[in-house]
Amino acid sequence: MVVSSDGTLSSTEFCLAAAVFSEQWRKFNSALPQWSWVPSPKRPWISHNKEEGYLSVENVILPELNEEGRRDEDLIEKEECSCAEGDEFIDAAVLIQNDGAGAHHYDFHVVYSASYRVPVLYFRAYCSDGQPLLLDDIEKDLPLNSVEQLTRSRWLFITQEEHPQLNRPWYTLHPCGTSEWMKLLLRDDASAAQVEGIPMDKYLISWFSVVGQVFRLRIPLEMMNLGCT
Amino acid sequence: MVDQGKESILQFAPFQSAVDEGFWHRLSSLKLNKLGIDESPIPITGFYAPCSHNQVSNHLTLLAESLPPESSEQSFVPAISRGNRNRCPVPGILYNTNTLEGFQALDKQSLLRAEAEKIWEDINSGKVEEDSSVLLRFLVISFADLKKWSFHYWFAFPALVLDPPATVVHLKPAAQWFSVEEAESVRTACNDWRNMCSTTDVPFFLVSISSNSAVTIRHLADFEACQREGHKVLFGFYDPCHLPNNPGWPLRNFLWFICRRWSLQKVHFFCYRENRGFADLELSLVGEASISNVQELRNHQNMPNAVGWEHNNKGRKTSRCISLAKTMDPTRLAIAAADLNLKLMRWRQLPSLNLNVLSSAKCLLLGAGTLGCQVARMLMAWGVRKITLVDSGKVSMSNPLRQSLYTLDDCLNGGEFKAKAAVKSLARIFPAVEAESVVMAIPMPGHPVPSQEENSVLEDCRHLHDLIDSHDAIFLLTDTRESRWLPSLLCANANKITITAGLGFDSFVVMRHGAGPLSSSDEVKAGDVNDLSAEVGTLSLMENIRSQRLGCYFCNDVVAPIDSTSNRTLDQQCTVTRPGLAPIAASLAVELLVGILHHPSGILAKAEFSSSSDSGYEQPLGVLPHQIRGSLSQFSQMTLVGHASTSCTACSSTVVSEYRKRGLDFILQAINHPTYLEDITGLTELMKSAGSFELDWDYEGGDEDEECVEI
Repeated sequence: MVVSSDGTLSSTEFCLAAAVFSEQWRKFNSALPQWSWVPSPKRPWISHNKEEGYLSVENVILPELNEEGRRDEDLIEKEECSCAEGDEFIDAAVLIQNDGAGAHHYDFHVVYSASYRVPVLYFRAYCSDGQPLLLDDIEKDLPLNSVEQLTRSRWLFITQEEHPQLNRPWYTLHPCGTSEWMKLLLRDDASAAQVEGIPMDKYLISWFSVVGQVFRLRIPLEMMNLGCT
Repeated sequence: MVDQGKESILQFAPFQSAVDEGFWHRLSSLKLNKLGIDESPIPITGFYAPCSHNQVSNHLTLLAESLPPESSEQSFVPAISRGNRNRCPVPGILYNTNTLEGFQALDKQSLLRAEAEKIWEDINSGKVEEDSSVLLRFLVISFADLKKWSFHYWFAFPALVLDPPATVVHLKPAAQWFSVEEAESVRTACNDWRNMCSTTDVPFFLVSISSNSAVTIRHLADFEACQREGHKVLFGFYDPCHLPNNPGWPLRNFLWFICRRWSLQKVHFFCYRENRGFADLELSLVGEASISNVQELRNHQNMPNAVGWEHNNKGRKTSRCISLAKTMDPTRLAIAAADLNLKLMRWRQLPSLNLNVLSSAKCLLLGAGTLGCQVARMLMAWGVRKITLVDSGKVSMSNPLRQSLYTLDDCLNGGEFKAKAAVKSLARIFPAVEAESVVMAIPMPGHPVPSQEENSVLEDCRHLHDLIDSHDAIFLLTDTRESRWLPSLLCANANKITITAGLGFDSFVVMRHGAGPLSSSDEVKAGDVNDLSAEVGTLSLMENIRSQRLGCYFCNDVVAPIDSTSNRTLDQQCTVTRPGLAPIAASLAVELLVGILHHPSGILAKAEFSSSSDSGYEQPLGVLPHQIRGSLSQFSQMTLVGHASTSCTACSSTVVSEYRKRGLDFILQAINHPTYLEDITGLTELMKSAGSFELDWDYEGGDEDEECVEI
């Protein structure tokens, strides 16, 4: 089964590709946290039993860019209730920590878009204590050339959309250009692997090799061996 | 690594809290839909997992599913599923107050003691052996400010205090304590424990090492059996902490339990930590704690002291506050969505779209009727936020059908003032709009003013002058010709972008006025020139030098505006038009404004036609015509140009300079004596010299260029 020439894929093909993607990731990319499949809850008024869901990897701490620049108070209004009450007892057995806001954690979901017929990357970022980060803060985490690419590119830009399952605003790489660049990418990948066409279940690997770059999440070379089934 | 032999106190790294946004969303909806003002404590479930990163500790997390499910849950919140290796459930309790004062007034000491008491009882009753997660029972106090979308909260992880504190005999990485065979066996045993659904989320266990280095993981209840078998036993637990010299918080209550239950003076413990889903014996620690007064503790009747309120990330013991306004506040979400829409247009189709100029343009709409309502909506769709509506009327029963901002409610009780109702309606559509209303009638020539009303009319003129000065673009959307005269004059005077839309029964005109005749420095001083006609001559010369201006609404007229409404029957007084006209004309008016704002010459832009090549600059928005006239009966539309007339009653330099010289006196005179305007502009002369001929509204005078282009 070969990828269609217009760069899109069907919902069933997405599920298959997701399974292959997470399995290959486990094999070749075990240094990073692993993807898991989150099935969509069954809606009682829909009759078919087709499996639907999305890929999720959570609590990813992005590979370090540089050591400078995480100011403690660059987050939004964090007022504190000054109702500090001590315990009557001074506790000698506790380690006082003063780590600041802590690392930035990222959650990534790969969700299928029925209207564009492509996968869409949804993501959000938050501090260790759960405070969500805004786009300005996220952009500071991304490598410089990602940010440039995003602002200039017609095909790859960040917008805020409502997550289709969780019904909360998440950031996403807008899918309107995906089928166009996937078309070109698959053609190039096929000729590089010297095959007629890339098998459908490798779609997500190709796709992620582009979108993952935005966050410095690389697909190792072995995983890119797309010619074999 | 800690030196052996020194009696240093065993210091525990505190548990750290993390609250997922989804928890706050769910709490908000629970509070709004179910709890109301009920402040009873809510049982919740926290989740944690052993540390899996050598530089970052794991947290006790609250998720959406931490709150009990509502019985008629519409959203698909998954129930807590057991057997998730990354989500060991821990029981907790939430006290959510209704006010900030209530939150601050909570007796934190006694709440902490109450939860510590439960742990104490569970230790004594044997509950811990059934469900060891009760050792980690926690407490949260919170106040959800649902107006500002901010949440104040504070976690407490109650820990029973050992007095005197336990000391460290040794503490080292597990790989250094186990022998090679033991290490291998431990890894396998732990991985098996973690891979089985029934045990993966059990956070306390025994590591039983037999004499031949075979290691098994057992439940706490098997301790006596392990002792009988003569095995070495370590007390193991999932350790969220990553630090090499400190065990995590769970060990505190665990030690108390071990003392109480088995009276061990020396406790060997195993801080279990992982990497990539497998046991990591470099990161995990094995240690030995010494509890000096263990016999005394065993017989301890009363509950020991408890500590555990969380320190914030600066090390201070105080509550925290998180603001979710940006992701929960519907107004902010609406603004973000609207901006996204326009940005997508710019990204995908129109890279030169200037969203800043649109969002900062201040638009004044004179008239809040069929045209006014539609223009306001279209402006908002383009991202214009600052809109002022001027209308003296009230919403009447027939209005809602054609005037898209009003509903039946606005008509009741005599009817709301249109300007005010329009502003409210705009805010309901888009909360971030900055809309203002002015309830005011526009003074009109041909409607003479009785002297007792003079002051209020002059006040209105002044007000209108100020409004026009303080806005960037003015839309003339009233329903009579004469009501457009004063605004046209004032706009010409202030050199503001002005767009007129007018409706016939089945035809419309939309046009942009040309630039004003005088720059601000062209002041005509009062005493300079006595002879009016000489003045007119000089000034029209200046005008020609100043290149041909485009005309205004009145430039094509050869009579001054007069009272067009009195002496007519009711149906003639109301403007009756085909309903489709107003939305078309209003939309064109707004698109015309957007075109002007993007044109490099702005108000001075020449008239453009689709076939012309005289504008070398290719506009992405298309051509910028001067006038658009359309006919519904033909479903046709054409663009026209009309240049400014030196005899115009509204925008000619004669009139504007007269206004600058004499101000409101001039206005009053024009209002009360309509022929005055014809006199000073020379129209009277023109009419006399022309003799008698039919004046055809659609017929242009001789000295104007005109191109008719069918679209």
